[in-house]
Amino acid sequence: MRRSILTGIVLATGLVVLLDLMVVNPSLDDAAQAVNEVLVLLAAAAAVGGGATLVAFHARNLASGDGDSTGSIVLLVGMAAILVAGLRPGSSGSSDPAVLWLVAALLAPIAASVFALLFVFLLGAFRRGFALRVRETSLMAGAAALVLVTLLPIGGQAGEWLTTGAGWLRDVPLAGVFRGLLIGIGILVAVSAARSLLALDGDDD
Amino acid sequence: MPNLGELASYLVGLVTDAIGSSEMRLGAVPTVAILIVLLVLLSLIARPEARWSGKGLGGLGRVGRVMALAAESGADATISLGSAGISRGASATERFQTLAALPLVGYVADAAARAGVPLRVTTNDPVAAVLAQATLAGAHRRTATPERASAAAIEYVGDGRAAAAAFALATARPHGVAMVAGGLAEDAMLVLDGVLGDAEWSVGATASASQAAGPLLDGDGSLIGPELFQAAAEISARGHARTAVLAANRLIWGAIGLLLAGSLITWAGGTEVAAFLTGR
Repeated sequence: MRRSILTGIVLATGLVVLLDLMVVNPSLDDAAQAVNEVLVLLAAAAAVGGGATLVAFHARNLASGDGDSTGSIVLLVGMAAILVAGLRPGSSGSSDPAVLWLVAALLAPIAASVFALLFVFLLGAFRRGFALRVRETSLMAGAAALVLVTLLPIGGQAGEWLTTGAGWLRDVPLAGVFRGLLIGIGILVAVSAARSLLALDGDDD
Repeated sequence: MPNLGELASYLVGLVTDAIGSSEMRLGAVPTVAILIVLLVLLSLIARPEARWSGKGLGGLGRVGRVMALAAESGADATISLGSAGISRGASATERFQTLAALPLVGYVADAAARAGVPLRVTTNDPVAAVLAQATLAGAHRRTATPERASAAAIEYVGDGRAAAAAFALATARPHGVAMVAGGLAEDAMLVLDGVLGDAEWSVGATASASQAAGPLLDGDGSLIGPELFQAAAEISARGHARTAVLAANRLIWGAIGLLLAGSLITWAGGTEVAAFLTGR
């Protein structure tokens, strides 16, 4: 498919979705739903392709003895377990109790364990940050320390001051920085998205 | 046989019927406001002189040199496309960062192809993997180095933010050049530390406002917030359209293959594959 055809399709489908956002019309609604279903199908096709690539990559690793063989075996066995649980005859797919158990008893705790490392890695990042750029990292560490101090569980008058200070830090400087970032991001997202969709990048077919 | 007048009257009737059976979803003022915003954006988009300009964002100008150093020392290059992906259940702003990261991938891939440095791109989203594959193919085409294409690899690491973070940590090792570009969330520090880690030169790029500190702490260079999109525009989205075409073609073939395989399995009395794959 050539670029001009793709751009045309993107424009047409984008227009349908945009019109559906603004106008209530049964035919338009059906068309927008059809577009969404095609998108789901494309994503599913890509997911199958991605899974197949993952299997092929690790099977090749095992065959050639490259990389981490144990990791490859664990990954392939894990994939097989989920697929067998979800696709075996009589299974109810992604809502099958066996799939749900695998997710709740294995995947969720493993993911939680990985994220539990965040504090350690944050400290590691600060160490690297101090090595790379002392001034900026000192500023960040100072600000983080200040926020931590204001959030200390202290009672009495001092505690009230700290709570008020924490609220002010969150509502004024922090919110200001966030809004500034988000406004800039929003404008550039809109412009970049449109340039990409309209293929305004001077490329050829 | 209908004459032209009847045909025109029929067409006009169709249009008026369609308008007659419709109603405004948002009311007149919000609809006009949306259209005005669109017009303003279109004027900004269509005029090249309205584009932003800047220099040396994220230290990307050094990529050619550091890639040459990596080639001399026999090191490799690695890129992570963050953890938002394109077809994942993240917000649109986060997923668009993955698209904005593709020109950066193309830029680094150009340098890697010229220097002959093995490049590995990792992502936790299969659609992003297809796009990255097309981006790398484009880089080898642009630099006329098809013989080095086999040294570049795209690796889909599985779905989920935890998968991206765990993979980054599990495969952490010194790289010549390392880059993380795209949407990040609570996994940011893990992905950044795992990928950028002990790289000779590294850059972190994300427009996720809540994770702005990560690239600043972990990377030699950093692109924060709007800078990710700005850098993508400055180094030009060259090849972006071709990437989209190549990736779309592959996705279409994949969808056809999936339809055929799913139909055959269903026809043979097997499991309903579509329901499992789409989580319905």
